Amino acid sequence: MILKSLDPRVTRLSIELSPDESSVAKDGLDQFETYEAFVQSKEGKPFEHAGPVHAPNEEMAFLFAKEQYSRRGMFCNAICVIKTENIKVSEYTDNGQDIYNLVTDHPSGNENESFEIFHLMKRGKQHKHEGSVLAKDFDDAMAMAKKEFQSDKPVFNVWIVKSAHIMASEDEDKDIWDTLKEKQYREATDYKAADKIKAFKENQA
Amino acid sequence: MYGGGNVFETMKATALADEDPILLAAFEARIDRGEKIEPTDWMPQLYRKQLIRMIEQHAHSEIIGSLPEGTWITRAPGFKRKLALMAKVQDEVGHAQLLYSAAETLGKPREEMITDLINGKSKYSNIFNYPAFTWADSCFISWLVDAGAIVNQIANSKGSYGPYCRALERICAEESFHLKYGHHCVIHLATGTKTQREMMQAAVNRWWAPMMHFFGPSDKISVHSEILMKWKVKMASNDECRQQFLDMYVPKIWELGLTVPDENLKKNTVTGEWEFTEPDWEEFKRVINGDGPCNAERIAVRRTAEERGRWVREALLAPKAKYVAPLA
Repeated sequence: MILKSLDPRVTRLSIELSPDESSVAKDGLDQFETYEAFVQSKEGKPFEHAGPVHAPNEEMAFLFAKEQYSRRGMFCNAICVIKTENIKVSEYTDNGQDIYNLVTDHPSGNENESFEIFHLMKRGKQHKHEGSVLAKDFDDAMAMAKKEFQSDKPVFNVWIVKSAHIMASEDEDKDIWDTLKEKQYREATDYKAADKIKAFKENQA
Repeated sequence: MYGGGNVFETMKATALADEDPILLAAFEARIDRGEKIEPTDWMPQLYRKQLIRMIEQHAHSEIIGSLPEGTWITRAPGFKRKLALMAKVQDEVGHAQLLYSAAETLGKPREEMITDLINGKSKYSNIFNYPAFTWADSCFISWLVDAGAIVNQIANSKGSYGPYCRALERICAEESFHLKYGHHCVIHLATGTKTQREMMQAAVNRWWAPMMHFFGPSDKISVHSEILMKWKVKMASNDECRQQFLDMYVPKIWELGLTVPDENLKKNTVTGEWEFTEPDWEEFKRVINGDGPCNAERIAVRRTAEERGRWVREALLAPKAKYVAPLA
């Protein structure tokens, strides 16, 4: 039986109802890799984790991230994406315990690669970019991060990524987020109707 | 939008007794301190299972919910309404992606969730098994179904699971546009011509019963739901959400000169609670189990999109094809 819908476009899809069940079972094939997207809301502010995207490659991840996390351009100055598997995640701590207090290694002094450091300052919030360090590997980067960035405020989790593994928007392309004027219809402020309700009530009275 | 009342499955009480008491105590202490749970933390099986189920249902509701609204984009009255509805539907599908990702952190891959949806194994918000006959139906969904979902989502955003809270905060921020847009559409019709008013009233009449069903049946007070409340999985009962919705939106419906098709609906001035005719829970059960006006269509459309889009995903995953210039 062919599906008939209220929407003629759905009817035109000629969908056969009661299909063979096995035809919809999926293998792992089209499970895309995940990337983590980060947004810089304003010039000079740190990049902040926005959330993941699923994509077949880095370029697509970047495009998806732009759509998903910066389509309201007013809150965005730059974005970047990092393949999830390239992010080294520390242990999580809680109850005021600083993760850096669990780090006992000292920096090796062998500074041949650049790493970016992200901090989680409160469970349930987003990781924020803290800065970059030069180190020989991830463990060494963690020791360097402790030296550079440990403060009075406890850090509950650290993400470390090689700087080379980040794909970021170019400064000269910033005008892609300058869409506010033509996209007012995406904002709640564009739908004021109090006057209409007031006029209606006065008319009724 | 779109997350409705949840129906939680019951689980044997013994499952909890199998958990390591020391880890369980640390987990509960963390929640009591108001700290969120993050993906790599130890958590009881029951917590993981219920969260996957809840977040997955929420994600499916966003995807399926965009179908009755999406169908009105081309027929929305005027360019501005088309743009706005397109933006709203894009938001909803984006919300589904955020939610699938949050559920994935608990160990169920996105493709498995989508497979369960198109095979009819997972539930989604029951209200989308009803058809949107007119533009006014689309307006009702944008304003009041979203409003109902916001009541749920704001409660859930204070829950204990970090990734779900982060997704919900992002979602709630976008909902303010949906709510204002939907209200604007309804005001336009309700204060318009006689025909427009009648069209809006007819939509309210059609959607009121599904809207009352939206928050789910009264929660049974059980040990099970007590645990979920204690673990901040469930943040408000279905009845609390329904009351809050009625309190916030019935006056706004009335002020537009619209009526609600329930002669028993009124606020009890003594208790402060809304009284209403008990929704037909037999119909709710019948529809949620597959026998609603649009169940088959919703799943079929989603399944077809999945099947007919497969070649795109495969092409993206196998970028080995080599470009050769045309020969002549």
